[in-house]
Amino acid sequence: MSAIIISTLMSGILLGALYALMASGLSLIWTTLGVFNFAHGALMMIGAFVAWTVSEAMGLGIVAGLIAGLGVTAILGIVIEFLLIRPFYSKPNVLLITTMTTLAAMIILEKSAQMIWGARLKQLPRMIEGDVSVLGAVISAQEALIIVLAPLVLIALWQFTSRTTVGRSLRAVGQNQDAAALIGINVPMTFALAFGLGAALAGLSGILLGSIRFITPGLGAEPLVKAMIVVIFGGLGSLGATAGAAFVIGMTEAFLILVVGLYWTPFLLFVFLIAVLVFRPTGLFGKV
Amino acid sequence: MSLLLDVQSVTGGYGAVTVLRGISIHMDVGENIGLFGPNGHGKSTLLRSISGLLRPTSGRHKFDGKDITRKRPSDIVGAGLVHAQQGNTLFGEMTVREILELSAFTYRAQKGAAQALDHVLTLFPRLAERSRQKAKTLSGGERQMLSIGSALMCSPRLLMLDEPTLGLSPKLKEELSVALKDISRNVPLIIVEQDVELLLSVTDRLYLIEHGEVQREINKDNAPDHAEIMDMYFGAHDK
Amino acid sequence: MKRNLFLVLSLAVLLLVPLFVLDSFTRHLFILAFIYAIIASNWDISLGYCGVFNFGHMTFFATGVYTTAVMAKTFGINPWLAIPMGGATAALVALIISAPVARLKGIYVVLVTFAFSQLALQLILSQSQITGGAEGMVRIPSLSIGDYKFTRDYKLGYYYAALGLLTCSTIFLLWLSQSPFGKSLQAVRDNEDYARARGISITRQRVLALVLSAVFTGIAGGFFAVYLRVASPEVLSFSTLSLALSMVLIGGAGTVIGPIIAAFVLIFATEAMAGIRGMEEMRFIIVAVGMIFVLRFTPGGLVKLVSGKRT
Repeated sequence: MSAIIISTLMSGILLGALYALMASGLSLIWTTLGVFNFAHGALMMIGAFVAWTVSEAMGLGIVAGLIAGLGVTAILGIVIEFLLIRPFYSKPNVLLITTMTTLAAMIILEKSAQMIWGARLKQLPRMIEGDVSVLGAVISAQEALIIVLAPLVLIALWQFTSRTTVGRSLRAVGQNQDAAALIGINVPMTFALAFGLGAALAGLSGILLGSIRFITPGLGAEPLVKAMIVVIFGGLGSLGATAGAAFVIGMTEAFLILVVGLYWTPFLLFVFLIAVLVFRPTGLFGKV
Repeated sequence: MSLLLDVQSVTGGYGAVTVLRGISIHMDVGENIGLFGPNGHGKSTLLRSISGLLRPTSGRHKFDGKDITRKRPSDIVGAGLVHAQQGNTLFGEMTVREILELSAFTYRAQKGAAQALDHVLTLFPRLAERSRQKAKTLSGGERQMLSIGSALMCSPRLLMLDEPTLGLSPKLKEELSVALKDISRNVPLIIVEQDVELLLSVTDRLYLIEHGEVQREINKDNAPDHAEIMDMYFGAHDK
Repeated sequence: MKRNLFLVLSLAVLLLVPLFVLDSFTRHLFILAFIYAIIASNWDISLGYCGVFNFGHMTFFATGVYTTAVMAKTFGINPWLAIPMGGATAALVALIISAPVARLKGIYVVLVTFAFSQLALQLILSQSQITGGAEGMVRIPSLSIGDYKFTRDYKLGYYYAALGLLTCSTIFLLWLSQSPFGKSLQAVRDNEDYARARGISITRQRVLALVLSAVFTGIAGGFFAVYLRVASPEVLSFSTLSLALSMVLIGGAGTVIGPIIAAFVLIFATEAMAGIRGMEEMRFIIVAVGMIFVLRFTPGGLVKLVSGKRT
């Protein structure tokens, strides 16, 4: 097979892996709370910045950076749930309201990041150096790490929600809040847990992204839109559908770049998405 | 005699609509009670207010002497007061086994979980057959069994069942009432039912609830016959 | 009615403002406030009156901006014509967007309308030969009548032109809210099933609501481009979106004058804050926090709080 095709394939797999990881946090929050977290991209960005600050600026190394990034974003997630979602549980248009409160949270996080870290580009150090050759195409070891790590995290997440008691309680709460309360599950605490976990997943994606791209306060804007596309495309209902959609979108994007070039690709991606929605208003695989 | 459950003058409802109007019922240790009456008059609402899904605007609930009025539903279940709702919706996308296992969620319930699961699957063999199926694929009767089974997994010290035989065929009703009698030997029950005869066979005392209040209290001494029951439902009566 | 009296008085006051406000910068703030007032109050048609979670309203504004910019600068069309063309194109875009959106529910409406705004942004950025890409377009022709340039006399002409536009837009919105159509929009929002049972076509309502909300928004966009003489992709940024959205929310979705008043308050507040050093980003944070506060404590917006009645 031609080298260009393989290289595009690898690109598609990398994008798919990143998008799947990005969208998984959104999907977890959606299936458990029924809320769309507009601040998801901003949380990715904060994760990357915090990891950078701890590992580079404070010189404590990448592992400490990773832990700090995950920790801070998880805490932020819990705070967001407590301040911006919880007060509105009982309102009839909770979806619209929380969309707006999480949008506000996004602005607050982005502008705060601008104030704290400034606009100069930063980059996280790679966890692995060097290049890897796969079927004749060359990718960096860091990118290979992402490709391997993403499915592992997703599988871990899947096992968590299907086998462990806590994971099952997240599903139960998402399916029937009252019934969950009536078997002894503390619903508000479950919401906080889901949001914290979803935010930590965002943080993780941000940290990984920050190791192969530059970190700026606007880091989260494009991933948010991509995550939205994945989620619209795959429906919001299940982790599996979201992961599947992520890979389809990643592949499509990689091949579009090959065929029509970088400039036309985002536009065409949206046209493709909207076309899908015209024919299947609930997304390709899923139900709301 | 000590009271297992004491509902004192509870008022409450949904928004501007008041459903419960200062209703009071009680349950002694060692008895089972039934609630019946026309639809929409507060029986389900009463159960929801006891289990914490609904906050009463006034009045108190006491479970085994402790005030549970403002407690969270999950804490009330943790204390052993379990409510199986009407309509058996539970968790459609989870399997029977997952739901039963998850239902032993509270600390109390975890301790005897393995035996409880055995017991439930023996009581309802059909659930054992369908243990790997998703709840949404079960028939109405099976979902009802799952709902009761799930409640049993919570290790209840008092179990409240809302219309357990609603919509079931006579044969299934018979099966279920046998199961209920079996359960009632070990767990105190409060059952909401339209079928007064079933209630009379399983419970010791009945309350007729109308307009959010207790209209009549019935026990083995003054048990009504069929004609009286019809009259209660359809006839006019003064308080 | 109290409200109409208030509006007439306000108009009178605004007409007289240039007599007291003589400097260019403050008049500029008023003009910005007028433009944002149009954006916010027209957004209310889809968001507040019809209850459509439309997050793509700024697309209409941007359409107006760029259509007028391209027509006036690249094709040399008279700005007086180019501005209404902005409105017409915006309405057309609204028609296109409403095709998939009208049948969607809940979160998908948010996502799709938002996706459209991103699509527009991508289009603007990628077609840089036409649109100037990330840098935008400059030196767009300005308004003039004969020899009189509107920038003369410290933007006096622009002030009254913007005020005139806001007045027309507001009259339109007031008429709309009282009209049978306006009432049917609220019916659809408040109880969709009932409205459907009464024979109202939900899809048609939504399409019309979106198109109507786009008209004056697009015209305002065209005016904005001609006034500033600049067209930039900033109009589709998250910051601009949240600013406009907070005007709708803080002012009160479902009222006509709420967003207008909020526009004034927020424009003057944010500009005043921009002057203070170190407040560059902070002012957006304050607006966002304000939005959260309003949603939490006075969900009807501040107008409802003051007037104490439901619209």
